[in-house]
Amino acid sequence: MNPTSGHTGNSKGTVLLRLLAIGLGLLFVYASLDKLWNPGLFAKAISNYRLLPLPLLHLSAIILPWLELICGLALAFNCYPRAANLILGVLLIVFTLAIISAMVRGLDFNCGCFNVATAESNLGLQKLAENIGLILVSGLLEFNFDEIVISS
Amino acid sequence: MTPANKLMREILGLLLLSSILAIGAQSLLPNGIGVRTKTIIIQTDSSSIELPAVTVDPTDSVTEAGSISLQAAYAAYQDSAAIFLDARGLEDYVQGHIAGAISLPAHAFMDSVDLLDDYAADQMIITYCDGIECNASLDLAANLKLMDFSKIFYFFGGWQEWQTAGYPIESGQN
Repeated sequence: MNPTSGHTGNSKGTVLLRLLAIGLGLLFVYASLDKLWNPGLFAKAISNYRLLPLPLLHLSAIILPWLELICGLALAFNCYPRAANLILGVLLIVFTLAIISAMVRGLDFNCGCFNVATAESNLGLQKLAENIGLILVSGLLEFNFDEIVISS
Repeated sequence: MTPANKLMREILGLLLLSSILAIGAQSLLPNGIGVRTKTIIIQTDSSSIELPAVTVDPTDSVTEAGSISLQAAYAAYQDSAAIFLDARGLEDYVQGHIAGAISLPAHAFMDSVDLLDDYAADQMIITYCDGIECNASLDLAANLKLMDFSKIFYFFGGWQEWQTAGYPIESGQN
């Protein structure tokens, strides 16, 4: 319970928010694993978007999966959760804008969101809806952090 | 320390930790890559294009596939020395393709690869997609290399360059 928040931290809403934070964190941990193991394929997935200049391609492919892993763990296990949620929220917004940009340009490929080893295309409204849903979860957490931060 | 400063420090801490682990891990991971992007230069008949090498060779373990110019591709076509594989989607293929080309969409490679069962490993194969704006021909070439085909070329100018040159085309599904 956060002693400054004035909340008991025991309400159903608080529990639900905490579960959402754990869920979002673990989802990013899961999303990072295939990319961590296959940075070359993830670089290829990023190159499909045709947005990043070449010098940033490998650097992004190397750092983004670790950022997802570390921030996902931090959010799920309540260690610097607000900072982790902010970073993940920004990543989600960037990923979503990249997907919209690719769709507008008529590009069709695997988004590289979870599985980078497949060539099966999955860009589309369903992927967009998933991402927007996750952004809403991240936003919900951001605006209710006083409810869910467990003070040590 | 104000809450905003504390939050900023936490964000920077997470970013720094992730970056250090990420760069450090590349030397330990069996599939690790370097920080600097390797590039390949592809010379088409009309221009020179720089692409990330990972497009062709994600793990550096695949032997190289070569690019082929419009003239060389046409010469191979005239001599019936190569089979042409159309890496675009089936819909595009049906609308129009290089005459005699086989549809093998790069995004559904495993579904259609049986079409190549009757060809020898040293069969000359030329892959193509729409033109310089697509990577499907490169992806298909990389996949074919993984299947031990040895004479793979990607025709980067693709359907647009072939069509513009007025070389033989056809439509419909073979």
